[in-house]
Amino acid sequence: MNEVAIAVHGLRKSFGAKQAVAGIDLEIAAGSFAGLVGPNGAGKTTSLSMMTGLLRPDGGKVVVHGLDVWADPAAAKAVTGVVPAEARLFDRLSGAELLEYAGRLRAMPATEARSRAAQLLDVLDLTDDAKRLVADYSTGMRKKAALGCALIHNPPVLFLDEPLEGVDPVSADVIRRLLTRFVSSGSTVLFSSHVMETVELVCDHVSIIDEGRIVATGTTDQVRGGKTLQQAFIDLVGARATGEEDLSWLGSLSN
Amino acid sequence: MARLLVQLKLRLLTNALRASRRAKVSFIISTTFAALVAIGTFLLLAALRGGSSPVAQTGAVFTVFAFGWLLVPLISFGLDATLDPATLALYPLRTRPLAVGLLAASATGAWPLANVIGLLGVTIGIAHGGAAIVVAILAVVLQVLFCIALARLVTTGLAGLLRSRRGTDLAAFAVIPLFVLYEAFTQVVPRLAAEGKITAATFDNLDRWLRWLPPGLAVHAIGDAAAGHVGTGVLRLALLAAIIVAIGWLWIRSLSRALVSVDTSTQASAVRGRPLPFPRAGVLGTVIGRYLIYQRREPSAIVRWCVLVVVMVAASVSTIRTPAYHVALYLSAVLAGGMLSLFNANWVGLTGPAFTLEASALTSRRVIRAYVAGRNLALAVIAVPVAVVVSFGLAAFAGHPLDGFLVLPVDLAAIGAGVALSSLYAVSMAYPAVKRVGSPIPNAADGHGGQQFAGTIGSLFGVPIVVLPVIFAVTLTGSVPSAVRWPVLALCAAGYGLTAAWGAGRWAAALAAARMPELCQVAASSKL
Repeated sequence: MNEVAIAVHGLRKSFGAKQAVAGIDLEIAAGSFAGLVGPNGAGKTTSLSMMTGLLRPDGGKVVVHGLDVWADPAAAKAVTGVVPAEARLFDRLSGAELLEYAGRLRAMPATEARSRAAQLLDVLDLTDDAKRLVADYSTGMRKKAALGCALIHNPPVLFLDEPLEGVDPVSADVIRRLLTRFVSSGSTVLFSSHVMETVELVCDHVSIIDEGRIVATGTTDQVRGGKTLQQAFIDLVGARATGEEDLSWLGSLSN
Repeated sequence: MARLLVQLKLRLLTNALRASRRAKVSFIISTTFAALVAIGTFLLLAALRGGSSPVAQTGAVFTVFAFGWLLVPLISFGLDATLDPATLALYPLRTRPLAVGLLAASATGAWPLANVIGLLGVTIGIAHGGAAIVVAILAVVLQVLFCIALARLVTTGLAGLLRSRRGTDLAAFAVIPLFVLYEAFTQVVPRLAAEGKITAATFDNLDRWLRWLPPGLAVHAIGDAAAGHVGTGVLRLALLAAIIVAIGWLWIRSLSRALVSVDTSTQASAVRGRPLPFPRAGVLGTVIGRYLIYQRREPSAIVRWCVLVVVMVAASVSTIRTPAYHVALYLSAVLAGGMLSLFNANWVGLTGPAFTLEASALTSRRVIRAYVAGRNLALAVIAVPVAVVVSFGLAAFAGHPLDGFLVLPVDLAAIGAGVALSSLYAVSMAYPAVKRVGSPIPNAADGHGGQQFAGTIGSLFGVPIVVLPVIFAVTLTGSVPSAVRWPVLALCAAGYGLTAAWGAGRWAAALAAARMPELCQVAASSKL
């Protein structure tokens, strides 16, 4: 269980003059349900994209399941599943076709891909909509379909970028339960979020990222330090709202 | 409002240029072409001075330009750069400032400017005297505005059709009459001219009709002013301005309707629960299956195949019934490959964010090769029968149905070349594509029009170069008996096309493997 599933060393990325990720180090043990939390623009998506081989880093090293992502991106992709933040899928395939496609693209036999797709759709509560085009799916359904695509090849490590963003409570619960089950079998999940309640509820490992740096990392209890995660987060990142006195014109009373 | 939107457009353009060197290079290429068009048109119109019927001839040129504006956005060139109206929908803008502002923003750019400069050749060609020159400048500006407004109206209308399920099928055919008109102007006219049937009198005859069309109004306004009837000229310009206002009004109305209606082209269309095709063909079959399904379900894909057929037919019409019908047949076959390449030169950008899903599954060089090969094969599977059927149809129309067997090799080589070039362009100059409310076909994102232009030029000139040896082989083997000539040529050409596509596919796969993260970023910034 103490084997390292995701190891990140000195990962950094700049966009022009702006440093999006300023050298992060991270180690996540196999079988962890890990959360990467941070305010908007902290570098969560950039970090996850680099860890999954979708964005070339300026420097640093990422090792997933013993494979160096940037030395051999293809091999690393075989052991990872990815759910990007914006679950943009092949709109003009039906849900069933989409999952089958994702499986077969990973060189899975067609019959196997089809039966796994059917089972995943069932667990994700999408069976009734399996024959409808993804174009007509709601946000929650799209997220669930994207999760199905990322899980169909049973990857040992799963990366999710804001998997519960814009998802209704019922679908969120379906996704949470599926992920918990996935982790309890020894697989690893790393997901980004800025919803502290969710992270606190499901994660056993939390890393807080702010302005491209990891400012705290450890088990959820360690990072929390006796407070709620929300409070610990705000204490670390700092409340930034100032200058409210300048907004005297805002609100109904000012007119 | 107009000033603000024009500034916004310029800012978007400069920001995009600053963001990448590729965008800069392609912008320079596109602008150079625009400048050449401007200079050429100016000289042509200026040279009409002192001719036998300069007004009628200028009228023909103006009308051709208007048709160009109507068609070019439909086959997606870099010209159709406008602001995305959806981003303005949230602001409380009245119809008039919004329409004026959007048109002004559309008119900001290298190509509209090139049009104005080129058409100003009339100040030398037909305008005599100070008043006439003033009228000429006004007329040229109005003509370009008319072109832009018309182009916007047609694309928005077509996009509206494409959003409904039935309209999708209809829209594919709505494009055809436009191309038929286009063909009448660009194909029939040069043929008649070559035969010496076009004289000053022809233009005068034609002018009896054209003078009542908006471009004709603009030209005759200048003619009137030059002849001393300034009042009549101004009246004509006023009529033209009224037409522009009417078109602008129609456009903004269809646009505001488009902004608040949903895409129903997919609604309630449960597909049959059939599994994806080709279960035994591995990744290759999987990709072919997905791609073929998309060609059927994606409205813009259907429109593209229709445009390809229409272009093939239109290109041949001028010479098909003459002794030089071979030229028509070869030209249309080469254009089939050219258009195929043009439409698919940006498949990564056109796949959009979903490409990330594929990219994360491409886990070895071999799989990437299978992926590219699958795409190429799927394209060829549709394009070859389409091109061959059209070629045989044209050969029959020419009265020499058996000559279809001579065009067959050219078809095969052209499709191979189109597939080969487009796979290389797609991985080496991918750019984000954006599908907007007012446009039926996804277009280059702001500032990437230059890359689109480079892909277009590269396709339309690249395919003929690759196909040339096959055309030589066909024309130089006339003395060989048909029973030997036809099958050998077809087999060799098929081998040639396949080799080109296969080699380019492998090369493209190697490039893609090296650039996968960059391709993912491009695809992720597409909005479809």
